[in-house]
Amino acid sequence: MAVRPQRIQDAVVERRLRPIYDWLDNGNNKKALQEAEKVLKKSPTLQAARALKALALLRLGKASESHAVLDALVEEKPSDDTTLQAMTISYRESQQLHKVCEIYEAAVKVDPSNEELYSHLFMSYVRVGDHKSQQRAAMALYKLLPKNPYFFWAVMSIVLQAKTADDSTKRGILLSLAQKLVENFITDNKMEAEQEARLYIMILELQEKWEDILKFIECPLYAQLVPASTTQACIPYYKKIGEWKKLNLLCKDLLWDNQDRWDFYMPYFDSVFQLMNKPDSDNSVDDSPEKCHEFICSIVENSSGRALRGPYLARLELWKRLAKDGDPTLLLGSGVALCVQYLRVFANKPCAVPDLKPYLSMLPQKEREDHSRDFLTCLGFDENSEPDSIKDIQRHISCLLAWRLTAPMGSAEENLNVAEMLRRHYLRSLQRGLVTSTATEFCATDSYGILAAHHFFYAAVEQENSTPIIEALNLLELVLHHSPANFHAKLLLISLYHILGNATAADSIYTKLEVKHIQLVSLGWLHAARLAPALASPRALRLLADTTTFHKHHAKDSVEQVTYAYKFGTFEKVLEVWEWGGRIESCAWCGACARERQLLALLAGPSQAPQHTVKLPFTPTDNRDLNAIVSWSSTDNDRAAYKERSFEKDVAYLRLKDGLLSAIVLCIECADNRSVEMKSSQLEQLRACIDAFGSALDRCQRLYGERENLNVTAPLPSRIIAFVTSPVPYRELYTNTLRMVCELCAGSSNAQTFAEPVRTTLVKSREHLAAYALPTLWQNRDALEFFSNYLEFIGVITYLLGVCNEHLAPAHAKRNKKKASQSPEQIQIIEILSKLNDDVQETIAILEDIFENWPKFDYQSSLEAELEKLTISKYQTPVEQKLKNGLDDVLADVKNILKNKAKYLKSLQ
Amino acid sequence: MTTIRPFTCEDMLKFNNVNLDPLTETYGLSFYTQYLAHWPEFFQVAESPSGEIMGYIMGKAEGLGDNWHGHVTALTVSPDYRRLGIAATLMNILEDVSEKKKAYFVDLFVRVSNKVAINMYKNLGYIVYRTVLEYYSGDPDEDAYDMRKACSRDVHKKSVIPLSHPVRPEEVD
Repeated sequence: MAVRPQRIQDAVVERRLRPIYDWLDNGNNKKALQEAEKVLKKSPTLQAARALKALALLRLGKASESHAVLDALVEEKPSDDTTLQAMTISYRESQQLHKVCEIYEAAVKVDPSNEELYSHLFMSYVRVGDHKSQQRAAMALYKLLPKNPYFFWAVMSIVLQAKTADDSTKRGILLSLAQKLVENFITDNKMEAEQEARLYIMILELQEKWEDILKFIECPLYAQLVPASTTQACIPYYKKIGEWKKLNLLCKDLLWDNQDRWDFYMPYFDSVFQLMNKPDSDNSVDDSPEKCHEFICSIVENSSGRALRGPYLARLELWKRLAKDGDPTLLLGSGVALCVQYLRVFANKPCAVPDLKPYLSMLPQKEREDHSRDFLTCLGFDENSEPDSIKDIQRHISCLLAWRLTAPMGSAEENLNVAEMLRRHYLRSLQRGLVTSTATEFCATDSYGILAAHHFFYAAVEQENSTPIIEALNLLELVLHHSPANFHAKLLLISLYHILGNATAADSIYTKLEVKHIQLVSLGWLHAARLAPALASPRALRLLADTTTFHKHHAKDSVEQVTYAYKFGTFEKVLEVWEWGGRIESCAWCGACARERQLLALLAGPSQAPQHTVKLPFTPTDNRDLNAIVSWSSTDNDRAAYKERSFEKDVAYLRLKDGLLSAIVLCIECADNRSVEMKSSQLEQLRACIDAFGSALDRCQRLYGERENLNVTAPLPSRIIAFVTSPVPYRELYTNTLRMVCELCAGSSNAQTFAEPVRTTLVKSREHLAAYALPTLWQNRDALEFFSNYLEFIGVITYLLGVCNEHLAPAHAKRNKKKASQSPEQIQIIEILSKLNDDVQETIAILEDIFENWPKFDYQSSLEAELEKLTISKYQTPVEQKLKNGLDDVLADVKNILKNKAKYLKSLQ
Repeated sequence: MTTIRPFTCEDMLKFNNVNLDPLTETYGLSFYTQYLAHWPEFFQVAESPSGEIMGYIMGKAEGLGDNWHGHVTALTVSPDYRRLGIAATLMNILEDVSEKKKAYFVDLFVRVSNKVAINMYKNLGYIVYRTVLEYYSGDPDEDAYDMRKACSRDVHKKSVIPLSHPVRPEEVD
C-alpha cells in the first residue's frame, strides 16, 4: 500500500497524483509507472511524482533505475511530506532504512519548524535502533512543541540507550538522567498519562529502586493516573524489599475478595514461608504453616455458592512447598489423600486433571503408584463402570486420567488391555447416544478415545509393532468424525500418521487445523518439519515456502510495530515488541525452512539456483509449542529438559544444512568464467566452508549418534540422528563432491583426486540401500527418512554435475570450438565426470527399482468388527484408504523425481 | 483458579490450545502487536496454575462523542477450561477498563449461530442492539449480533435501545 498524501496544499497536484496511488494500491505497478510518466511529462520536476515513479520501478523489479531516481531526489533535499513518504516506502521495501533517516535529516534542515517532519525523523531512527539520535530528535520536537508524548519519547530513548549500554557506569548515568528528567516533570505537575507513570516505574525498576517505586505507587498522582490498582501494584515490590508482613496482609485482603486468583496465592505463600523463619508478634500475620492452613480452610468454609478451585489447589501448593525441606504430612496428611480429595470435588470439570497434574508428580513415586487405583475408585467408579450421563462420564474420565497419570508404566499387554477397555467405553457411549459433540464443541466422551489412542501407542512402542497404531488411528478418526472440533484428536492423528511415515495422511488432518501465521512457527515441528523426511516433497516445498514468506514479512514489518508503540505512548510495549521482533527474526525453525526449501528444491523443485540466505543468527531461538499435544504418561514429566535437548540437536542440524547450502552456493559462484585469480578468495572461502562442514559433521556424529525413544506428544527424533547414524558415509560423499567442483572451478588437476573417491563411495553406498528397501510398516518411517537423506545427496550431486557441465562448456554454441581447444587434462576430467554421471544414473536406477518394489502394507483394524458388534455399522473408516493412497502418492512422486533426474543427467552427456 | 495478567507477545507462541478451536481466529502477527501497542490494558490473559493459557480477551476503545465505547475484538476460552466463569472474569476486566476510560458502553459482535456465547453475554447483561447482515464471510456468509451493555457514564442508557432494523456491515462504524 502506498501512503496517500495527507496534506497536499495544491489540489491540482493531488488530483494528478491520485491515479498513481490507485494503481500502486491495486498492485498494478506497470500502470502506476505509466501514469507517473504521464504526470512527469507535464511537470517534469514534480518531486512527489518522481518519488512515486521510483516506488513503481522498485516494485517492478527495476531496483537500479528506482535508486537512480531516488538518488537524484535526495540531492534536491525534498521537504514535502508526500514526496518523503513515498521515498520512505521505497527505502523500507528495499531494506535501506538508514536512508530514510538521511532524507528526513536533510528535510528538517530545510524546514526546521515542521513538527511532522521531526516526528518522521524520530520514527526513522526508531526503525534503525539509533536511540541516541532518537533522543535528539524527540528533544528538538519537544522544544518546538512542548507536548508530553515528545518529552517521553526522549525519555524512552534514554532508557533504551541505558539498556543497550556496554558499561554499567554509562548505564547508571543515563538512567539517573532519565529519572531526573521525569521527576522534574512530575514536580512541574505535567505528568498526565498512565503510560508515563509506568515509564517512570520502569526507570526505577532498572535501577532496582524498589522503595522509590512503592513511594510513587502510594502517592495520589499514581492513584489518579492508574485508578483502582494501587494495592495490587505493590505486590512485586514488597517482595523485592522483603516487606513480608505487608505482603502477607495485603495478599490475605485480596484473597478474601478474589478467592480464585492464583497470582495472589503465590506471593501469599512466599510471604508465609519467609515469615516462618522470623515469627511476628502480630497475630494477624500468617507466619506459620498452621496459620496458613487455617487461612485457606477459612476461605473454603466462607465461600458461598459453587466450590472454587483456588483454595483447594492452594492446599496442594502448601503441601508441595512444605515437602521441599520437611514433612508436610504432619499438618496436611498424605499428599495422595489431598489430591484424591481435589479430584472428588472437581472431577466433573475437564480442567480437574490438568490442574492436578503438576501436583501428582510431586508425590513420591512409590506412594503414587501404590495408590493409583485410589484415583480411579474415589468416586465409586472403576475401569468397568458404565456411566450413563454426560456428567458422570466426565467424572469417570477424570478418574481414569488421574489413574493413568499415577499408575506405573505397564507392559505392552497391560497397555493394550487399557486401550481396548477405553475403546469399549467410547463405542458404548456412541451406541447409547452419549457422544454429544457439535460442529464447534467437543464432548467428554471424546477423552475415552484420546486416552485409548495414547495407550495403543505405548503398546506399539513396547512391541515395535504398528498394529496398535492402526487401531489408534481408526479410533481417533471415528472420534473426529463425531467431534469435528476436537483438535486434541487432530493433533494426535497427525503425530500417529507421521509415526507410520505417512505424511500425506497426516496432511489430510493438518489442513483441518487451519494452521497459519505464527502457528506456522510454533507448530512447524508437528507436520511441516516431517514432510521432507517422509518424502512428501511437493507438500514440504509448499509449507516451507509459506513459513519463509511469513518470516520475511515479519522481518519487514516488525520495526513498524515498534513505531506504533511510540505513537500510542505505550512505552512498556516498546521494549517488548522490539525484543519479540528479534526473537522471531532469530527463529531456528524459520532459518531451517529457508535452507531446507532450497536444498529440497534441488531434488524436487523447479530448477532454480540456490542463493545465500540471511546469515544464521548467533543464538537461534526456540519457538516451538511442545505443549500442544497433551501427555497422559506417568513417565513424561521433564518436558523442559526434553525441549532443550531436542532443540540443541535441531540447531546442530540447522548449522550443518547451512554449511552445506553455503558450500553449494559458493560452488555456483565460483563456476563462472572469471579468471582463477579473480575468484581466488571465493575459492578459499569455499574450501574453508567444506572443511568446516566436514568437521561439524564429525562432531555431530560423536554427539548425536544415539537413537531416541518415540513419544507421541513430542517431536519425532531430530533429523540429525538419522543423518549422522546412517551407514552411508555422507561426510565423504559431500565433502569430496564439493571439493571436486571447487577444484574444477579453480582449474586444478586436483579435481580428479576428488572425483575418484566420490565414485567409489557412491558405488559402495549402494550396498546399504537393500537393508532399508523392504521395511515393515513399523520401520517405514525410518526407511523413508533414510532414503530422504540419500535422495537429498542425489539431488545435490545431480545439480552440481550440471554446474560442472556448464562450467566446462559455458555456451552450447561454443561447444565445438571449445572441444578443439580442450587440454588433455580437461578431456580427462570430462571423462571422469561422465563416468560419475553414469554412476549416479545407475544409482538412480537402483532407487527406482527399490521404490517400485516398496512393500504393500496390511492396514487391517479390529474397529470395524467392534462397530458391527454394536450395530454401529454405518461408519466407514477412512484410515486404510488414506494410508494406501498416501504411500502410493509418495512413491509415484519419488519415482517421477528420479525419472526426471536420470533424464537430466543423460542430457548432460 | 486463575492468574490474570496482561497478554504479552510471547503468549502468541503458546496460545495454540485456545486458538485451534474452530471458532477462534488466528490473525497475522501485526494484528496482535498493534493491539498490544495501542490498547495494552484491553488485552488480558487468564493463565492456569501450570502456566497454560486458559483464555484471553482483546479489545479496544473507539468512537467519537457519545459513541466512545469499549469494544471486544476477541474473547476465547480453551475447551478444557470452559464453564469455569473465565469468560465472565475477562469481560469484567474489559468493562472495568472501559469504565476507567469513561466509555459510554461496551459492544461486541457474535455469530448469530453461537448460541452458547450469546446466552453467556445475555447473562452478563448484554442486549442484542442490532443485527449486522452477512458480517462474517464464509460459505454461506453469516449474520452477526451487535451486542451492547451500557457503562455508568450512559446514565439514561441511551446506547442500549435496540435498533428495529438490521444494518449492513458497511453501515457499522
